[in-house]
Amino acid sequence: MSRIVVPGEILAEKPLRMPNALTEGSRTFSTVLGIYDEAKGALTALEGLWYPRRGDIVIGIVEEARLNSYNVELNSPFKGIIIAKFVETRLQRGDVIEAEVKELDETRTAVLMRPKKLFGGKVLDVKPSKIPRIIGRSNTMLQQIRDGTKSSVMVGMNGRVWIKGGNIALATETILKISEEAHTSGLTERVKAMLEKSRGPEERIPEEG
Amino acid sequence: MGGGANKPELIVNGKRLDGRGFDELRPIKIVAGGLKNAAGSAYLEWGNNKVLAAVYGPKEALPKHTQDPEKAVIKCRYAMAPFSSLEEHNRSGPNRRAIEISKVTKEVFENVIMLEDFPGSEIDIYIEVLQSDGGTRAAGITCASVALAMSGIPMTDLPYAVSVGKANGHLILDLNKSEDNFSDADMPIAIGPRTGDILLLQMDGDLSKEEVGRGLTMAKKAGEIVSKLQMDALRAPYEKILERYKV
Repeated sequence: MSRIVVPGEILAEKPLRMPNALTEGSRTFSTVLGIYDEAKGALTALEGLWYPRRGDIVIGIVEEARLNSYNVELNSPFKGIIIAKFVETRLQRGDVIEAEVKELDETRTAVLMRPKKLFGGKVLDVKPSKIPRIIGRSNTMLQQIRDGTKSSVMVGMNGRVWIKGGNIALATETILKISEEAHTSGLTERVKAMLEKSRGPEERIPEEG
Repeated sequence: MGGGANKPELIVNGKRLDGRGFDELRPIKIVAGGLKNAAGSAYLEWGNNKVLAAVYGPKEALPKHTQDPEKAVIKCRYAMAPFSSLEEHNRSGPNRRAIEISKVTKEVFENVIMLEDFPGSEIDIYIEVLQSDGGTRAAGITCASVALAMSGIPMTDLPYAVSVGKANGHLILDLNKSEDNFSDADMPIAIGPRTGDILLLQMDGDLSKEEVGRGLTMAKKAGEIVSKLQMDALRAPYEKILERYKV
């Protein structure tokens, strides 16, 4: 049985260790608005922020190109940085990049690696707490969007989605629907139906991108 | 507090001017969300009070000298719209009263937000009073609390606030404007319901030690109702969607 919990609401009368929750004495309480599954003992944030973790794929916007590093805006209170010597082509202010978090330095700045410049396309900001659902279990949902819209879609854990080519309008609509209904079950089937319904015979051939 | 010769009778036949009992709240309505650009927002109607709250951040604190390398800083702005009141507040902007309320509101939330998670950042809380009828600081805190929860900023509690006052020798709960202006005392209280901590306690006028104690008990009892409304408001948008796909 799962229930929606609010900040400060008691989850269990025993100390449990889980993200977005704190223990006080012998009790565990939530610090966010989320869904708590009592059987599994798992708290999923409905509204939450992104904390950089090693290995996270992010989509950022280059804010400043400096002599030996780039500052990257990550849609979060935490800043990103790329060491310039690991970048093959020079980046410019305003470039959209996809990169992986290599490590967090002592000021909690995310040091990024393997930046890949994303040309053109559209950047969509969604809530970071909805990103796991947009990706789906072992990428199923994301693959479904890519197949259904013939768009290139990149998802960053920091709450950014980059879309290019294919049916951008449909891809955007699908992603917004997933982010709104992330806490419901049977979403994969509904998205599948939605994508199939809008697939017309006149579907245009996607451009390469 | 005010009064003098023109002081109206606030308690008539054991009832208050608007027909409420001594420990009765005005009707409250809370809507979570609503503002698209804000990280979190809420709208609240508390009797004739209408309050809108928006939360932005956490983001890099600017200007840079306001940053704290160990924790986030809160910047709170309480403002009454120029059209919000019948008299007095004919000009909006940071006057003495608004600066004071911004400060005490900020201090309420400094106790519940997990600021250490975001060193060097700022969290902006905006509270706009669209229509006022007494007790707007309590309404503002209650509303901002819902807006903060909607923004996903981790909090250890969901504070609410109510006011208690005294008129004609009776302790009264949740004062409206005329009671606020002409009563003998007014005491706004903010409480964190999980711990029961008192996060704000101000007092205008005179109350005895015993009356303060009774007032706190009244506020806590009424707070259970306010707290429940806050929780329901937070759950409502999600439950609405769950309801749509119920099998």
